[in-house]
Amino acid sequence: MTPSECGRRGRRRFLAASAAAALLLVRPRPGSSASAAAPAARFIDSLGQKVIAILRDERLDRQARLDRLTRIFDEATDLSLVARLVLGRYWREASEPQRKEYVALFRALVLKTMAERLDSYGGETYEIVGTQAVDDRDTIVSTRIARPGGTPIAVDWRIREQSGRLVLIDIVAEGVSMVVTQRSEVTEIAGRAGLDGLLEEMRRRLGRSA
Amino acid sequence: MLAALGAANPAAALEPNDPLEPVNRVVFGLNELVDVILLGPVSEAYGELPSPVRTGVRNVLDNLRAPVTFVNDLLQGEPDRAGTTFARFFINSTLGVFGLFDIASELGHQQHKEDFGQTLAVWGVVEGPFLMLPLLGPSTLRDLGGLAVDQLALDPWNTIAGGELQAARAGSEVIDTRYRLDPVIRDVRRNSLDPYATVRSAYAQRRAAEIRNGRPPVGRPAYQSIFEENGDDAE
Repeated sequence: MTPSECGRRGRRRFLAASAAAALLLVRPRPGSSASAAAPAARFIDSLGQKVIAILRDERLDRQARLDRLTRIFDEATDLSLVARLVLGRYWREASEPQRKEYVALFRALVLKTMAERLDSYGGETYEIVGTQAVDDRDTIVSTRIARPGGTPIAVDWRIREQSGRLVLIDIVAEGVSMVVTQRSEVTEIAGRAGLDGLLEEMRRRLGRSA
Repeated sequence: MLAALGAANPAAALEPNDPLEPVNRVVFGLNELVDVILLGPVSEAYGELPSPVRTGVRNVLDNLRAPVTFVNDLLQGEPDRAGTTFARFFINSTLGVFGLFDIASELGHQQHKEDFGQTLAVWGVVEGPFLMLPLLGPSTLRDLGGLAVDQLALDPWNTIAGGELQAARAGSEVIDTRYRLDPVIRDVRRNSLDPYATVRSAYAQRRAAEIRNGRPPVGRPAYQSIFEENGDDAE
């Protein structure tokens, strides 16, 4: 880490604390479909508060912080389901051992990516601006994430109700969906190099050999 | 068997229209090279400037862009948005000292951007093949045509300002945009399994969102279909 990065980290800590204070002012607005939508909005709000609490915890070193962010994110999502949705039609072609390995590698890659993204926190604050039921099990919670000195970005969170619990299954930032984007990466590689080629590339990314 | 699955699957609409992929990938590689040796370092140096200076640069560039947005607002049949763009340009060019300060936003006139590629989309023109342009990055045949119209026909500064000023403007635009995209570029390089496919997909999704002007995505059956596929067959 360069000295300027260290300085930035210190500023981030300060901003994280002010962000947490600002969060007390966050109040979900009534959603368009109140009955199904309110729990989804509360779910996102509680996830956001947990993340901020970890980021502002001065006692944690980077590794401990990453571990906690990973755990929080893992609990909030159903990554086996997301992995299947991302693989699309190739899921049907995959053998049982290929499916198992793919889900394990996908989980590891997403958790690593998300923990790093959350850790690059720079004092953002969020506001829940609306909720919309998509069908009988999915709800989209819309948020606006304000960055200090930047234009706010619109982030939508797709929440699914599944056996009585809520799970996050997609994040759409300024119209760009993580599931759609990952699907384009994964199907591109599987189309070119087959499922084994895809698994090989995922292992390589994680620095694991077969 | 595979072809039948593809036809039956509504998510097939998400598949990219990229007949030039081999050429596009070569251009992407060259752009990455230019970025690593030139644009990245220059934008990093630019990032060392005090933040108010960078904000001023961005504000001036955005203000110069307003006439193009204004004409495209009108061509898209959005008089209210055209009014906002006009008010912003008037306020920021005067009170904002030639666009240096974005006073209009503080007065409640938020910025939006339009281009002729978006206007063509509103008129019903399809994207056409995906293109990776040298230096300019991801585009489509429609958006490249739109860019040409914006630059050659709709931008008034070509006739008002000299070539050198326009070159300085273009250079600043590239560096400031690259600087602002830096976190995204790092993220893609670090985390994507196939950066080219990521950029292609993100570009298509982002453009679709810009064309909708923030309206809720109605009738995106291809997106919705992904989530209707059931994982149940896993059991």
